[in-house]
Amino acid sequence: MNTSTHPIAPEEVMAFVDGELSSARQDSVARHIAECEECRQVAAEFRNGSQELRAWHVEAVAGRVEENVRTKLTHGEERKKHLLPTWSKWALGLGLAAVALLLIGRQNNLQHFSAMNTVVPVAGTHHTVQEVGEERDKALATYQRALEMKEREQLSESLAVDAPAQGDSVAWAYPGTPNPSPLPPEAPMIARTVSLTLVVKDFAAARSTLDAILARHHAYAAELIVNTAQGAPRALNASLRVPALELAAALSELKSLGRVENESQSGDEVTQQHADLVARLKNSRETEQRLRAILQQRTGKISDVLQVEQEIARVRGEIEQMEAEQKALEHRVDFAAVNLKLADVYQAQLTMPSPSIATRLRNGFVDGFHGAVETVIGIVLFFAEYGPALLIWAIILVLPAVMLWRRYRRSLATL
Amino acid sequence: MQEALSAFVLKLEATKPAMSDTPENPTQETRASTPSDEQLMVAFAGGSAEAFTELFARYKQPIFGFFRRRVADPARAEELAQETFLAVVRAAGRYEARALFRTYLYAIGFRLLRSYRRKAAFRAAFLGMATRDREPATRNTTEVEVWLRHAIGKLERSDREVLLLREFEELSYAEIGELLHLPLNTVRSRLFRARTALRESLAAPSAKTVNAKLKESEEHA
Repeated sequence: MNTSTHPIAPEEVMAFVDGELSSARQDSVARHIAECEECRQVAAEFRNGSQELRAWHVEAVAGRVEENVRTKLTHGEERKKHLLPTWSKWALGLGLAAVALLLIGRQNNLQHFSAMNTVVPVAGTHHTVQEVGEERDKALATYQRALEMKEREQLSESLAVDAPAQGDSVAWAYPGTPNPSPLPPEAPMIARTVSLTLVVKDFAAARSTLDAILARHHAYAAELIVNTAQGAPRALNASLRVPALELAAALSELKSLGRVENESQSGDEVTQQHADLVARLKNSRETEQRLRAILQQRTGKISDVLQVEQEIARVRGEIEQMEAEQKALEHRVDFAAVNLKLADVYQAQLTMPSPSIATRLRNGFVDGFHGAVETVIGIVLFFAEYGPALLIWAIILVLPAVMLWRRYRRSLATL
Repeated sequence: MQEALSAFVLKLEATKPAMSDTPENPTQETRASTPSDEQLMVAFAGGSAEAFTELFARYKQPIFGFFRRRVADPARAEELAQETFLAVVRAAGRYEARALFRTYLYAIGFRLLRSYRRKAAFRAAFLGMATRDREPATRNTTEVEVWLRHAIGKLERSDREVLLLREFEELSYAEIGELLHLPLNTVRSRLFRARTALRESLAAPSAKTVNAKLKESEEHA
């Protein structure tokens, strides 16, 4: 049917047969069809086609459909099955993922700030190494004078015997070390270590009292760190060296500074180690004396003389090394190590007024800009790092993926 | 709603199933006294079990027919039909009578059908599980039915859906457009194309011979 010669298109005839035209157009088309044989035939074909299709019957629905619907409704399975709609599950999943990312980010930030707090001390709160050293020297000098006056008679006989030799090496080559151990050699030698954690109400008073205690007991601070970070309780970490004889009294006074939160004491017995060291030192000194005697009394070739002198130098070196070890050991025994932690009772304080809204907005924008730049850099870095590998995998997988996709589309089209 | 469902279960047991292939359109005389589908659905959303019983009786056969003509497996068609009604029950609280109920019902049916097709295609493509794309012949299958099914199966998917919705579900062009998200003119042109192609297919001289052989082969299968 030619639409240029016909006022009604076949599509419109079809719509007329289906009753899908407006009432005015329906009348108009009906009048045309009544007059046009060709259009009547087209309409008849559409009607016949529909009639033919009606021949496709479907069997009656099975009774089990009703049964199943009834069963599921009775048991409420459907309600349990869809507690959350699909979009809610997605939203829940995305929300949880976002929360997890936030938590991870926050944890990283906390670690970052913690590291910064540890690495960068607040200016003026740390005692310098020089200050600590001065305190130590002062304490040692005081203690040395006291020992000289009170305990000179208790010095060991063995040291007195080797006085001339000892004089060369011991003569305060280690200036921080007091006189040798006041303990009798037969008494056990114990290196004491004490850890003490205190919480004090008045941090400043406790700090000055600590200095007084150290001076009173001829102790010194080998290391002392005071941290007064804003928004956190003030804290003092000190590694003290207290004369063993005065440890009990010093500890008692230290505990009176505040509430003891933690205390631990340990002792390392070094008697045997010290005795071995003394014996070896004595042997070496005797060897050295014999060598010197040989050098003075015997005459011989120059090469023999040189060999004896070399041997003396070697033995001398050993002696000095052992003397240093002995001094260090005795120092550990003479001075107990006290690791003291003082913490202030935290009192929240009025903070400085927060910056203005404009400043905060500006900071927010700057942080946001930095964050965006970091994100872009991160993405670029990710592709720079993994891009080549991803490209290789994409090349490998693209062919199977396309084949599977085509199979999927084909299967979908046949259903 | 829970009470309504329990009452519906009891009602179903007492109701004889209707065996009509199309929705039961009330006659002119009874139309005034018979509530519309939309009124029944609103009543069901309000807790009336009788309303759902009536809707179920009206649409169980059309919905089954809807799936039966599109899915080769009869058991699967039954499952999809019951899933459709269960979906109606689940969504009853959110129902708003803004469109015809049958459009709403067939929209649910279409969603389920698409989901089924996607899953079946996925299984076939990725898991190698064959799909039954051709209905097995049964004693009740007439030669004409086989012939029609074959001819309809050769149509374009989009044209075929429009034709089926018009001829069997008896939806108007506007309803089809709403259901398939198509403009009215597109619906009309697709329907015209489908009907023309079907007529040509059925009128082909060898069509009956071909279809006779087709039925024969299906019976052997």
